[in-house]
Amino acid sequence: MLRYLARRGLIYVVMIFLTTSAGYFLAVSSLKPALLEQERIPRPTPEQVAASMRLKGLDPDLSPWERYVDWLTAIVTRWDWGRSPNGAFINAEFGDRVWISTRLFLASIILTLVIGVALGVYSAARQYKFQDRVITSYSYLAYIVPAPIAYFLVQLGAININESVGERIFFVTGISTPGIEPGWAQFVDMLAHYAVPTVAITLVGWGSYQIAQRQYLLDNVNADFVRTARAKGLSRNQAITRHALRVSFIPVAQSIAFTIPAIFAGGFFAEKIFAWPGVGSWSIDAISLQDVNAATATLAYGSVIFALGAILADFATTLVDPRVRVQ
Amino acid sequence: MTNLNAVDPAAAAQDAHLEGADVVIGKSTIIFRRFMRNKTAVAGLAIFLALTLFSFVGGYFTPWDKETIDPFNIGMPPSAEHYLGTSQAGIDLYAMTVEGTRISILIGLVVGLVSVLIAAVYGCTMAYFGGKVDKLMLFVLEALIMMPALLVVAVATSGGGAGLKQDLPSWLLLIIVLLVFSWMGTARLIRSLSMSLMQRDFVKAAQYMGVPPRRIIWRHLVPNIGSLLVLDITRGVTAAILAEVAFSFIGIGIKLPDVSLGVLIGGATSQVQTFPWMFWVPLTVMFLLTGSLAMMNDGLRDAFDPSSSSSGKARKKRARNNGTDQSLVQKKAS
Amino acid sequence: MSSETTAGPAESAGLPAERLHVAGLAAPSDAVLSVRDLHVRFTSENGMVHAVRGVDFDLMAGKTLGIVGESGSGKSVTSLAIMGLLPAAAEVSGSVRLNGRELLGLSDKAMCGYRGNELAMVFQDPLSSLTPVYTVGTQIIEALTIHNPGMSRQAKEARAVELLAMVGIPSPKDRLRAFPHEFSGGMRQRVMIAIAIANNPRVLIADEPTTALDVTIQAQVLEVLHTAQEETGAAVVMITHDLGVVAGMADDIMVMYAGRPVETGGVDDIYYNPRMPYTMGLLGAVPRVDVAEKTSLVPIEGMPPNLLHQPTGCSFAPRCPLASDPCRAGEPPLSAVPGSARHRAACIKSESLGADVDAQDVFAAPPVPVSRFDAMPREERSAVLELKDIRKHFPLTKGALLKRRIGTVKAVDGISFDIREGECFSIVGESGSGKTTTLLEIMEFHKDQDGEVVIGGLSNKQAADARTKSAMRRELQMVFQDPTGALDPRFTVYEVLAEPLQNAGMDRQAIKKRIMELMRLVGLQPDHVNRFPNQFSGGQRQRIGIARALAVNPKLVVLDEPVSALDVSVQAGVINLLDRLRAELGLSYLLVAHDLSVVRHISNRVAVMYLGKIVEIGEVDRVFGNPRHPYTRALLSAIPVPDPQVERTRERIILKGDLPSPLDAPKGCNFATRCPVFAALPPAKQEKCLSLEPPLEPVTPSEAARTLEAAPGPSPDQRFACFFPDGQLDEDMLVVHDTADHHAP
Repeated sequence: MLRYLARRGLIYVVMIFLTTSAGYFLAVSSLKPALLEQERIPRPTPEQVAASMRLKGLDPDLSPWERYVDWLTAIVTRWDWGRSPNGAFINAEFGDRVWISTRLFLASIILTLVIGVALGVYSAARQYKFQDRVITSYSYLAYIVPAPIAYFLVQLGAININESVGERIFFVTGISTPGIEPGWAQFVDMLAHYAVPTVAITLVGWGSYQIAQRQYLLDNVNADFVRTARAKGLSRNQAITRHALRVSFIPVAQSIAFTIPAIFAGGFFAEKIFAWPGVGSWSIDAISLQDVNAATATLAYGSVIFALGAILADFATTLVDPRVRVQ
Repeated sequence: MTNLNAVDPAAAAQDAHLEGADVVIGKSTIIFRRFMRNKTAVAGLAIFLALTLFSFVGGYFTPWDKETIDPFNIGMPPSAEHYLGTSQAGIDLYAMTVEGTRISILIGLVVGLVSVLIAAVYGCTMAYFGGKVDKLMLFVLEALIMMPALLVVAVATSGGGAGLKQDLPSWLLLIIVLLVFSWMGTARLIRSLSMSLMQRDFVKAAQYMGVPPRRIIWRHLVPNIGSLLVLDITRGVTAAILAEVAFSFIGIGIKLPDVSLGVLIGGATSQVQTFPWMFWVPLTVMFLLTGSLAMMNDGLRDAFDPSSSSSGKARKKRARNNGTDQSLVQKKAS
Repeated sequence: MSSETTAGPAESAGLPAERLHVAGLAAPSDAVLSVRDLHVRFTSENGMVHAVRGVDFDLMAGKTLGIVGESGSGKSVTSLAIMGLLPAAAEVSGSVRLNGRELLGLSDKAMCGYRGNELAMVFQDPLSSLTPVYTVGTQIIEALTIHNPGMSRQAKEARAVELLAMVGIPSPKDRLRAFPHEFSGGMRQRVMIAIAIANNPRVLIADEPTTALDVTIQAQVLEVLHTAQEETGAAVVMITHDLGVVAGMADDIMVMYAGRPVETGGVDDIYYNPRMPYTMGLLGAVPRVDVAEKTSLVPIEGMPPNLLHQPTGCSFAPRCPLASDPCRAGEPPLSAVPGSARHRAACIKSESLGADVDAQDVFAAPPVPVSRFDAMPREERSAVLELKDIRKHFPLTKGALLKRRIGTVKAVDGISFDIREGECFSIVGESGSGKTTTLLEIMEFHKDQDGEVVIGGLSNKQAADARTKSAMRRELQMVFQDPTGALDPRFTVYEVLAEPLQNAGMDRQAIKKRIMELMRLVGLQPDHVNRFPNQFSGGQRQRIGIARALAVNPKLVVLDEPVSALDVSVQAGVINLLDRLRAELGLSYLLVAHDLSVVRHISNRVAVMYLGKIVEIGEVDRVFGNPRHPYTRALLSAIPVPDPQVERTRERIILKGDLPSPLDAPKGCNFATRCPVFAALPPAKQEKCLSLEPPLEPVTPSEAARTLEAAPGPSPDQRFACFFPDGQLDEDMLVVHDTADHHAP
């Protein structure tokens, strides 16, 4: 198993290297921070701009290949992912950003999975009854609404609640109110900030799990082994919960592990709309600020998350399915 | 995409008629009939066609276009002059919606069709050659899946000095980028499907008869993955429309002066309280588009399903019964 | 003990409910299970399917009832109705009483008290019937826990070990922690039986428990079922389509057709004195492995009726050669056959039938076809196919995710044989013996393979250019096992048949003419060419497959299990067709089949394969009539014969364990690990088996015969690979069920 993981890991390292390099070339050839600098007032001379850029390792006069070599050398030798045009160090900013993103998504991921799987089981058990139709229709509806618009609609709803109550219950943007005193007040403030994005992401996210879990469970409800379990003396519901559910969870577990990067990708929209300064919104900002190094770093981060998801999926399958366990 | 007809029973059917054979309906006719019997699917198709028609001829019903500013009507609600009101800049919203719908449908159709085409060629090639070729192509495919598409979209459409951007309208650029990142899932599916088809006895039978590979692929493989391809086209169109809206919504897809549904929706968010029609009109159009496609997709899936009877209700009923009695099922099959 | 299970109560007048009540009371007081007027209806998209239409029987403790029928006859639905395992949408009416307590109408929860406790069931497919994610031990213990909540963990585990040992699983204690996928199909079926008998059920229902298994494993599993019945004293309902399987086991037989019992009675009554044409047809439709004399099989034309419509007459009338107008006027009831207490038949002509009426005459079996080659000595006919020392070795990899090579599987290991004009040559063996790989090596011949394949005089070694290849291909066509999978679902029959002809470069007119010819040749209506495969029955589809194979006039047709996917009554028609085509067209066949009865019926010569090698080869009557290799003997003795007398007195060799992994193939004789002769040999002789590989030698190993071998001569056509063919058989592997007293007529 370890050898297998090591081999898979190696393949992914190669893949991450290639995608990141490709991303760097794309970014370095289309993002020109020097152009933005020239819009400053007082307007600097091109020489001043070039000098300032050179200082930050963003020399616009070098060819993309030379810059790539410099960039790569810095990462390999010093683990230095370079600087932004405004002088900030990527490494320093990165940690904070990842932490903010993780805080934003962790609760939503857990809620999404739990609600999605639970509703999937519930609707499968009531196939073609009213509850199933409502739940499943909702999931299909969630599929035809673009995520950012759904987030925006939830935000709009929260604003309406605030207005109708006449008091600010929910914060629809930001992570916390600055200068709030620690303790209970801070906790309430945190909840008020978390509520809207978490609800929004969860509402959009659970649909696909619900549909998948429902489908896989239905595939197994009439399986031969469920019949065997019933022939032993289990009731239909017992047989389904003890036998079919466990088997139907195998592909779901795999897809859960695999879709964690997808939730990260959805994070671009959520962070942007709810104004959480995480990795996702950083990457968008980096592009509009013509920040080559930040854009590449977030791209690399995305690739790593994807690779982790893929390895996690293998791992999850191994965990829940004895048939693929390697002796 | 015309794969369903590729079997071409027409010639054979003609001969058989001469023999006084019973009338046999072609497969495509059966599928068409099944689809037409599904009311939701037909409604979906009708809505989609109506929207497409609207996006082409809708412009003739108003004297305004998407660029002309009406200085006397700025940020006005719907009126006789401007059917859907005007934007804050004083541009007719109806004209913009017509234009935006056309761009969105165009993006959807082009990306949906071309990406399935790429996927089919790529997937079949992988399955046919197998071995090293397959491994290498799978690596490329996974690497592409790994690239966060959104970032590339953002870089490609927002890059400062990119030469591309100046030469191409932003919708075309978006189409290209969406295409690059939209075909991998389908390709992987087609690969595994073709691989399992290659193992089927009827393909083996053809091989043992000495039928050349090219012919086997065209006569046996392609028609048998045809239904999947058609389904993936409708799914791909939906996904492309959604992606366009999402990207344009946060300002990294289509850029003004080009308009699309996403641009209109995104542009209206800041004034949704004061000018609600500017937000809800394009959003409703988008819902009609994606919703009608989803309805069609459902109907097509039903029509293609060989075990499905034409009515959705009967299918569900059977699904509840199945798996209980082997012999009964066998009997029904025979 | 004579009258064990009376099938069907006396017809009594009155309201159904009242009648049921009376019937229930009238049931013999010692019946563990009595079923009365059982009906099952399903709603389908096409309307109401009346799957079971009035089943009655009584089952006595410790006795066995065999329910025999083809697919769709309602036999499985009956068993599921008794177990209460039908879906909620099924309408079940009538009465099912277990020890006098009514089961029908009980809630799922109430039924749980009976299921797995007093009433247990073994299902058909052992591969999918165990939950893949739980260990075998967990699944057995679950069955114990449900009905014995107070039992201690240790006690349950001890009982599970005991059960596994009882069903013959070696080192049961360790195997408790194994997952189902680590077991072979036969082993999993043993586990299923262990689960079923865990709580000493009063009634054990086995629904086709051996259909998915190899014959040798089938014999083992039937033996385990027998043991299980003896240990628990349970009454057994054995559901099967195979008249051979129940012949030796059952006390009573119920033959079902179109949802109804059409004939019931003691086992001897049914087999030796059938009174219903359907039963006669079924008995005549199966070839027998123990009979050398060649007669055509009894074909039953047509298909079982559609149960969507209530039959207006006898449901078998449309297929019955004896049917007359009275048969079509109302369904005949199951009525007593004169002269026998328990024998009942649902046929108005039952009195004119019986032991002295030959099914061959009734069903007008075709005469045995004679080929123009039959009279010619084999040596004078030219060879259409020759294999010389064919080998196919696969690297064996381990691990589901990470593959690493751990050895070589010798799937085919040095096979040589030839097939002459007009003969049928068969390869038999368990799954995993390499017979399918041999076929593939022939069908996918290429010049780099290990060994030589000569087709119609052309060798694979010369097959570098496309022309030689297609010339070889034209001589050789194939018919597949699964008639549905072999036909492209998107092709009409016309297109299916046109494909090889177009490929051969025929013009359209000629193709059309040839297709009509082919349709007639295989007994299909020519005006059906425009239909799709799914509009045909399984048997008809197989005929289409045969027509396609014959389209380009090949000399040799490779038949891969051509009838194993078909129902018994349909099988006979296809076998007769193959027989006729061989004679009429002078074809040669290479047949691979697991059913040795079919092989004996249709073949001229046969090869028995074991772990990639031929262990015995020769003329079919010689090999089957006087098997020399212990494996051939074991294989033949494992085949159940549809003859209760023979089955009861027959000595059976039950091989131990499964086919070993080809990886572990020993240095000497491959078969030594399971050989009944080897087990009884003195160690000195065993040494020879283990160290030397026995060569394939002719039957008479005298000097004279050996010199004659090369030249055509009177040397008998039978060779085998064993050093001690006349050795004693190990007693542990021999089983005789002497049940003569038990089955007093």
